[in-house]
Amino acid sequence: MRKTLERVGLALLNIFFIVICFVVIIPILYAFSVSLNASNSILGSDFSFIPKQFTLNNYRAVFVDQPVLLWLGNTLILAVSSVAVSLFAAIPAAYSLSRFRFAGRTKIVNTMTMLYSFPAILSMFAIYKLLSPMGLINTRLGLVIVYIGTMAVFGVLNLKGYFDSVPAEIEEAAKIDGANAGQTVAWILLPLAKPAVIVTGVMVLIYVWNEYIYAITFMTGADHYTLAAGLYSLQATEMSGSWPVFAAASIVVSLPILVIFFLTQKHMTSGLTAGGVKG
Amino acid sequence: MRRILTAAVAALIMTATLSACSGNEADHGQPDTDGGSAPVQLTIWHDKEDAVAAVLQAELDKLKPEVAVTLEKKNGLTEALKMVGNDPNAAPDMYFFAHDKLGVYAEMGILTPVTEFVDAETLGGFLPMTTQAATYKEEIYQLPIYFETLLFMYNRALMPDEEVPATTEDLLAFMKATTGNGQYGFVEQHSTAYYSAGWIHGFGGEIISSDGIPQLNSDKTVAALEYHLNFARLMTGESEYATVNTLFMEGKAAATIGGPWLVPTVREAGIDLGLAPMPVVNETGLPIAPYSGVQGLHVLKVAADNPQKNAAIKTVLNQLLGPDIGVAMAAASGCAPASAACYEMDAVKNDEMVMMMREVAENAVPMPNIPEMDVMWNATSNMLVDINMRKADVRESADKAQKQAEDLIASMQ
Amino acid sequence: MKSNKYKVHGTLRSWLCLLPSFIIIGLIVVFPIVYTGYISLTNMNIYHWFDFTVIGLENYMKALTVFDGGFLQALALTVLWTAVNMLFQLVIAFVMASLLNTPRLRLRRLYKTVLMFPWAMPGYVSILLWKNGMFNSQFGLLNQWLDRLGMEPVQWLAGDTVAFVACLVVNLWLALPFMIMIMDGAMQSIDRSYYESALLDGAGWFRRSISLTIPAIRPIIAPAVIITVFTTFKQFDVIYLLTQQVGAKTGANIHTVLTYAYENAFVTSNYGYSSAISIFIFVLLIVFTMVTNLRKGGRKHAENP
Repeated sequence: MRKTLERVGLALLNIFFIVICFVVIIPILYAFSVSLNASNSILGSDFSFIPKQFTLNNYRAVFVDQPVLLWLGNTLILAVSSVAVSLFAAIPAAYSLSRFRFAGRTKIVNTMTMLYSFPAILSMFAIYKLLSPMGLINTRLGLVIVYIGTMAVFGVLNLKGYFDSVPAEIEEAAKIDGANAGQTVAWILLPLAKPAVIVTGVMVLIYVWNEYIYAITFMTGADHYTLAAGLYSLQATEMSGSWPVFAAASIVVSLPILVIFFLTQKHMTSGLTAGGVKG
Repeated sequence: MRRILTAAVAALIMTATLSACSGNEADHGQPDTDGGSAPVQLTIWHDKEDAVAAVLQAELDKLKPEVAVTLEKKNGLTEALKMVGNDPNAAPDMYFFAHDKLGVYAEMGILTPVTEFVDAETLGGFLPMTTQAATYKEEIYQLPIYFETLLFMYNRALMPDEEVPATTEDLLAFMKATTGNGQYGFVEQHSTAYYSAGWIHGFGGEIISSDGIPQLNSDKTVAALEYHLNFARLMTGESEYATVNTLFMEGKAAATIGGPWLVPTVREAGIDLGLAPMPVVNETGLPIAPYSGVQGLHVLKVAADNPQKNAAIKTVLNQLLGPDIGVAMAAASGCAPASAACYEMDAVKNDEMVMMMREVAENAVPMPNIPEMDVMWNATSNMLVDINMRKADVRESADKAQKQAEDLIASMQ
Repeated sequence: MKSNKYKVHGTLRSWLCLLPSFIIIGLIVVFPIVYTGYISLTNMNIYHWFDFTVIGLENYMKALTVFDGGFLQALALTVLWTAVNMLFQLVIAFVMASLLNTPRLRLRRLYKTVLMFPWAMPGYVSILLWKNGMFNSQFGLLNQWLDRLGMEPVQWLAGDTVAFVACLVVNLWLALPFMIMIMDGAMQSIDRSYYESALLDGAGWFRRSISLTIPAIRPIIAPAVIITVFTTFKQFDVIYLLTQQVGAKTGANIHTVLTYAYENAFVTSNYGYSSAISIFIFVLLIVFTMVTNLRKGGRKHAENP
């Protein structure tokens, strides 16, 4: 009896999620349909999700006429280095704020939070003034610095929140076994806080993937573009551009992120559930 | 630990690669220290469609090997220029853009007049309207290449040639007779400054005077807005281009006022497109007179100050003085050439759309290039939205917008 | 944390751990704030782009004129916008994350991935899709569906209230994937054994949520929630691109603090003046944070979904 009830519940839940997922992606299905359509318009009366004049030309246009693979390469380099450097800087900082007691600790956390309230709409100009004398405009390194800087506060605070939830006693046991702080973090804390590291990493990744304002302003020439910047340059305006190609490019740009996300899902469980370590 | 190590190594490699990559990317536009025989590299920023850029590139490639010009498409060009304007490492040497921002850049001090490179008299070969557009405080800052104005377009299936309205009253009568059930007699982007400027000019009004005083609540402007409201009521709730253009392309609107950029897609959509002169406003006897935009080359001061580049820029600008580039632009993308000589040539004479733009340009008003215009787009569209979409009182809305525009201009100082 | 053991660690070591992050934050976050503060004291505008001089507090005096009735209205709307957004985000994300963590939900990874889709596109693309594909009064899907049901078309972005709701829906659509992911990650960190004992006690979903899940995830998600409060307050793209873009205004008169400042200050290209306004908004937000004591506020929300 209980089993049947549970099965019915699960079935209902699955139906619920299928409906929700469908509702959520309606605007994306719209883009998908536009991207498969031969006529050059984002609008049209009598819309249907199955395009009337089906064509794959827009996808061909994306891959053949645009250096999409080059953009993908640029994006991957930027994304991987931003994620790596961000985590590399944020993990010790978050650990320090979570575990060490020292003067000014609370103030640091509060100040970092406050920094988030600055309306960064004018920041680009200041950052330009900062990077330009160093010759970092129109370089990947310059963009990476901007990206990790933008995400740094989030990374530190987010990781700290998770680290706080891991009981310090677990680490103490390792300490007694003779492990130093670095080893404790690597062996004990990070496996336990795996979801946090993944969430933070994915967050930085998606930010870099979707950022286009700095990429188009600081980088010149289509060869240096990231995917998002390239997509922005394809944007259909009143004067020029093709909506279906733009829609196709939007889908193409999003798919790698979804694949990465799907793959990381498997690791989204904490060591606490798997290892039987108890606090 | 292994994970940390891997991450560390990855980060190190990444940093090393990045710094290696960055070394040779930052130096574009640097003069070649050897001097002499090596070609001078010039960079031109633009934000135009590929067809236009290709024509310009082809023309400038003729200057090789002495001068090698690279056209770079730059999104967000106007904002980027403000940032890099006087940075020799990041600024382009020239940019190709509409004339309406040149006052801002001239005030900022990042432009050099083109008369430093070309003989002022040879500029007489351009249509007066285009050189007038390029002039700010008595200096000419742009070498005009082509211009655009809005055109009156109609769908012959819905508006036969003999019903094309000669006056605005004819147009209104046609709209009243044909609008309804998802069909429209006439649609335009009624609540944007660029499109409604034509109506304001048709009443002898203007958005801003040449000395930078907003004219939004002048009697002539208000009369135009009140009259225009009769038309706006018979159009869609939306005023942006996607809706307006799609209605016309789907055959749901008989006529529209649109830019030349619309023509190729309209023809592709299978519309039997007709072009007509702008209707005349009955009350004033003046035709609807839209803004015109002149596209051309501007020279940055940082490049002009470099002796080697200075000579190369001179070569580039002189290459573009003749009618060739205009004819090629007209053929490639339906652009109306700035050079008067082009209109003597058959290739251009037989182009219906280019000739129609030439005709409209007789009355068209070049967009003001004064810096104050920068804030007028917003104030004016707020006013139009209040009147046409929020049904606010015309006079009150105009007064309010005038005040906002004056405040904004005061804030620029 | 209760442990005393770590008190012995020297301050030096703590700061050393923080150093890389501090350098990066100093360059990209703090420097622009300081620089903006400096520019706010100068007359940098297009007439003095390179030869600007320090003019003291003049820009701040001028900026006071922006804080008129229109600004107060925008401020009130921004507070409402932030509150409503946070409420919906926390409730919906919590429910979704809990349901996604139902044991034996096999397709969980697929659902999660699909739910992340809105996040995988650059924001402006999504907003364009919503504006043209969904809300357009002539061609949008919503009105095509209404038409099929025999109902009158709606101008989704024209009226103030309906446009506010439309913007809210789009913002939720954009922001929920992040919040669901944060909540999901936090729930993954909870020790399963707690749940098992609670299940044995026969506690229902609601009671488990109130007495177990929420207290456990609250400290973990707090930083992300607070940061989301700020980003929601500062949200510009959604409202601007949907309703206020020059050339594509829809007739709705809804402004947040930032879109208002944009239209009434930033468009002037007067950097000194615009910087003064930015600093004003910055101070305003800090004061706002202190008054409402966000930390506790954030927790209350999380407590009460």
